[in-house]
Amino acid sequence: MVRKIDTVTVEVVRNLLMSIAEETYGIIVRSAYSTNMKERRDVCTAVIDPDGNSVAQVESLAALLGSMLSVVPNIYEKFGRENVKPGDMFIANDPYHGGGNHLPDVVIAAPAFAGDKLVGWIANIAHHSDIGGKVPGSTSGDADSIFQEGLRIPVIRIREGGQLLDSVMDLLLDNTRVPQEREGDLTAQMSANLIGVQRIQEAYARYGDVLIGCMDELVTYSERRVRAVVSTLPDGEYCYTDYVDGCGDKYPDPLPIQVKVTIAGDDLTVDFTGTASQIKAPINVPYPCTKAAVFFSVKALMGDDIPANEGINRAIRIIAPKGCIVNPTEPSPIGAQIDCQQRIPDAIFGALASVFPDRVVTAGNGACTTTILAGDGAIGTDSVFIFHEVIAGGSGASLRYDGLSGVQVNMTNTSNMPIEATEMEFTKILARRYELMEDTGGPGELRGGLGIQRELEVLQDDVLYTGLGDRHRFHPWGLAGGKEGASGAFYRVSAADGSIAKMGHKTTSLPLRKGDVIRVITPGAGGYGSPKRRPAEKVLQDVMEKKVSIQAAREEYGVVIRSDGGHLEIDWPATQELR
Amino acid sequence: MSYMIGVDVGGTFTDFSVFNQETGELFHYKDSSTPADPSQAIVKGIQDVLKIKQASPEEVTYLAHGTTVGTNALIEKKGVRLGLITTKGFKDLMEIGTQRRPSLYNLRAQKPYPLIPSGLNRTVTERIRYDGSIETPLDEEETRQVVRELKEQGVDAIAVCTLFSFMNPIHELRIEEIIREEFPGAYVTLSSKLAPEFREYSRMSTTVMNSYLGPVMEQYVNHFRTSIEEIGIRVEPYVTQSNGSIISIKETIDCPIKTALSGPSAGVIAAAFIGKQCDADKIITFDMGGTSADISLIENYTPQVSNEREVEGYPARIPMINIITIGAGGGSIARIDDGGALKVGPKSAGASPGPACYMRGGEEPCVTDANIVLGKLNQKKILGGRMDVDIELARRAIQERICDHSGLDLKRAANGIITVVNSNMVRAIRSVSVEKGYDVREFSLMAFGGAGPLHACEVAQELGMREVLIPPHPGTLCSLGLLLADTKFDLSRTKVMRGAPENLEAINEQFAQMVEQGTALLDKEGVPAERRSFTFFVDMRYQRQNFEISIPVASGTLTPETLDRALASFHAEHKRSYGYCKEEAEVQFVSYRVSTVGIIDKPNLLPVPLQPEAAPPQAIEVRQVLFQGQEDYVETPVYQRESFVPGQSIPGPCICEQMDTTLVVPGGWTIYVDGYHNLKIHNDEVI
Repeated sequence: MVRKIDTVTVEVVRNLLMSIAEETYGIIVRSAYSTNMKERRDVCTAVIDPDGNSVAQVESLAALLGSMLSVVPNIYEKFGRENVKPGDMFIANDPYHGGGNHLPDVVIAAPAFAGDKLVGWIANIAHHSDIGGKVPGSTSGDADSIFQEGLRIPVIRIREGGQLLDSVMDLLLDNTRVPQEREGDLTAQMSANLIGVQRIQEAYARYGDVLIGCMDELVTYSERRVRAVVSTLPDGEYCYTDYVDGCGDKYPDPLPIQVKVTIAGDDLTVDFTGTASQIKAPINVPYPCTKAAVFFSVKALMGDDIPANEGINRAIRIIAPKGCIVNPTEPSPIGAQIDCQQRIPDAIFGALASVFPDRVVTAGNGACTTTILAGDGAIGTDSVFIFHEVIAGGSGASLRYDGLSGVQVNMTNTSNMPIEATEMEFTKILARRYELMEDTGGPGELRGGLGIQRELEVLQDDVLYTGLGDRHRFHPWGLAGGKEGASGAFYRVSAADGSIAKMGHKTTSLPLRKGDVIRVITPGAGGYGSPKRRPAEKVLQDVMEKKVSIQAAREEYGVVIRSDGGHLEIDWPATQELR
Repeated sequence: MSYMIGVDVGGTFTDFSVFNQETGELFHYKDSSTPADPSQAIVKGIQDVLKIKQASPEEVTYLAHGTTVGTNALIEKKGVRLGLITTKGFKDLMEIGTQRRPSLYNLRAQKPYPLIPSGLNRTVTERIRYDGSIETPLDEEETRQVVRELKEQGVDAIAVCTLFSFMNPIHELRIEEIIREEFPGAYVTLSSKLAPEFREYSRMSTTVMNSYLGPVMEQYVNHFRTSIEEIGIRVEPYVTQSNGSIISIKETIDCPIKTALSGPSAGVIAAAFIGKQCDADKIITFDMGGTSADISLIENYTPQVSNEREVEGYPARIPMINIITIGAGGGSIARIDDGGALKVGPKSAGASPGPACYMRGGEEPCVTDANIVLGKLNQKKILGGRMDVDIELARRAIQERICDHSGLDLKRAANGIITVVNSNMVRAIRSVSVEKGYDVREFSLMAFGGAGPLHACEVAQELGMREVLIPPHPGTLCSLGLLLADTKFDLSRTKVMRGAPENLEAINEQFAQMVEQGTALLDKEGVPAERRSFTFFVDMRYQRQNFEISIPVASGTLTPETLDRALASFHAEHKRSYGYCKEEAEVQFVSYRVSTVGIIDKPNLLPVPLQPEAAPPQAIEVRQVLFQGQEDYVETPVYQRESFVPGQSIPGPCICEQMDTTLVVPGGWTIYVDGYHNLKIHNDEVI
């Protein structure tokens, strides 16, 4: 492959472009209004080349990559490249018309011009807490079309000639339950882009067309890196089928995610033929999100240091039949797509477990367990509050390591809401418990990570609860003799009579009474290798840390632990007998 | 005579800066460190210095030292066995952390090493709400039982961090009393005393690290104090903290975490001092050594302080000079990766085997090897002639590891290594300047450390900076900084309220309480009243934001007028940082900070007369040097720093060698030697 720019300059420019992406990311996180952005950091930013290829993006979370990879080509397709002018800024959220993920994720992109020459783009995407639709927080567990999921924004201008288009802003703010928060967040996103545009212009002033040549080379470089790894792998077809729990009462049956990964020379194909058909429930994965999930899986396996850009995509061929759940057609609902998207890396890892024995991890919590609480109560000039959080779980074990407990896996990596930040802002919510959940990590020589139990009490009547999750039925699988991890579950503890009711994994807008407690348990992760081979001392340590119960130590690991007035020790003879 | 002594303990060397208060002489001394017991090298060094100066121990009137004992205990996991007491229902906050996995794509990345042994994270029944009200009272019997169990488990220290203790510390205080009753020997840290600010995970991790280090630090400083007493030193020694100030032994024992990032902070204090000598009020400091580079920003002679940083994977919520450390130093290794890209660092060859040219068996090419091949470093002996190097080994390493895998010839490969490592530095400098809304071109780059001056001019050029400053002894800036520090306590409180006139009384009440607290601390340090100063800050944000900007306010008694001025500063600072502001929007006051300073006597250094007409320095050799952006080597004079006379100008290109560093000046730059022997290097052609 002939390179236009020398390797040294490319490295220098890569540093510069990452610095620009990170600066704009910092602006959004530090100045945004909604907890999704400021605390949970559900934000991604990227520098994009003049042809629309993503070149440098921050490694915040992978779920938002889809938009970054597709937004500028979508703008070109709709408006024509020649009609993009200095001072323009574009906004979108509808994956069927130029956006990328689900409707709460709003992407805003701005072209950078040097004179009248387009020299690059800066784009960011962030999760907004409410964009209208049938439920507060927009994401329901039971929407049957995208029209119920909020305001659809096809790719349109939000700034033109350097001026905000007030009528567009007015339309947006009129379609959310929390307009003050929306305005603050959109301002942060646009301001970050204005700074980003300026930085790209400065970079062009410094490097001229070499800058654009380097962008091109960076994309080629990533493609080369992926192909270099693929070419070392044994040719063949590798298959795996994993399952999504279903979706609510209407779709109680498991939904297969079937992948066939074909390796031939340095070509890599991921084929989803055989995967479930799209459904009229909100877990359809728009195609850009499917691309993002494949992108994530390939980068994690082929080389975590490969620069995240369009080049990785170029090294991959994806086959996803139109109308299947990972390439749905309009107007299929998509609000909770991530619960299904999370299963794509699980399936790809399952398929390639034999190819990357030292890199693949067992199935982790594989969900994006979400709690939304909404009710009356002023915050600032908004008259209702919408609390939205995602709770982590276990991550997969592997050949050399136990899984991690209480972490985000696969496509998401957002922070938790600090309890003190939550209660200071949402004064009608009280956290009762936030701990790891014993025995949720799949037993194995290397133990799967543990899920979390989180209990929130509501302190007023008529708070609406929405709980979205997955792997409540299909447990996270283990490898090489390791056992599966525990599933997740949602419970409501009623203040009225103390009764505990199990709820579905797609609970939507359930009214709560004052004093009710929502108890969320997130899935653990599968184990790796036979639990009987786990050193007894490690099992003892697990028991001391309340990760494994004394009972499970005996039954799953064959390790007998005696408790003598609080002091724990291994009963070696009894253990030897069981092992 | 009376002497002030500053001692900086590094991994390899212990540096001494000694100032004679009567003659005004400043003297530097260096000896090997003694890592097993760092105080050995200090005591021996002080004795050596006193011998050289023919002085007696009683003549030492001031002694300050920077210690890495805390830092090393965290890095090497050699803290004590400790227990944690927190609110029931929340035992795993330390393990869960932010719930983010350590790396998005690296599936094998691990969480930080757990500081609390298995099962010693304990809980007690209690709950305080967001407004400080008691939701569930503390179960004292249960607490007593938990303390007894921790005692039985053999812990040396206990960290106490309960929810919302920063709003109301009553439960933490009661838990402390119970610990004192049940387990008087335990070292205890309360989160409400150490870091009374919101966000439970970072407050807890700071508290846990403090207890983890407490007894280790206590043992070290007590031993240190005894050792210097034994040689007859009469003054109470000071210890540096991460905010660049010095504190007493007593305070060090209470808050060891405050020393954990103190290593590079004294150097920044010295840089601010040198900046004053040079009339440079905007400085980027660039301290580059063998394995890493430390970068910070100084504005108006004041280093920037940040309130939270990660230490060994854990957040530490303590005020510290905002220093960015990157893995780029002379020992950073260059390689060509699978995709054909040239990468440098963060892996380092360290001191052993070190760069290939060290002749210690290193085969990987390092930044130092590239500098030797390019003629920037002496090609036979470095470190002032103390160490032999072999240029052939450097050439071979670059040839075999870079050229043979990339198609670059030797000189392009060597120059490329420097370009790439400089670009890492440029990225770090951008992150403290451009990314914070500062125009880096208005700043001077002050370079120190063994390798800083080697790279400074070319890094400055890349950033469009016009001035580079080099202090007289770039290798000993940290020990000099120890002679320049004040005693300082950064106090803070959190209480969210509208930044409006109706809250003035409540705001001023926060300040008044902290002034009282600060006064008590300065009393304990024995600072006389006329040497105290208090500065006041409010952390502000627009209502609904969660990240605050710290804004200085005129005094601890705000009036409607000074309040308006503070709000105007906030809007302006928000615009500078984020590119916009909303003057009509409501501003929230979140945290209140008081910097309580006890001013310590400092060396008064006087300039020497300028001699612009003195004979120009004589080159000790002429070397072929290849600079950045050039195709070919050029003949370049090499000078010795000692031969530079104040008032002289020396044009680039040139190389200037001195014992502790080598300065590289490309063409277009001119050195000017000022009356303090600082080098001010200018380039008016930089765009």
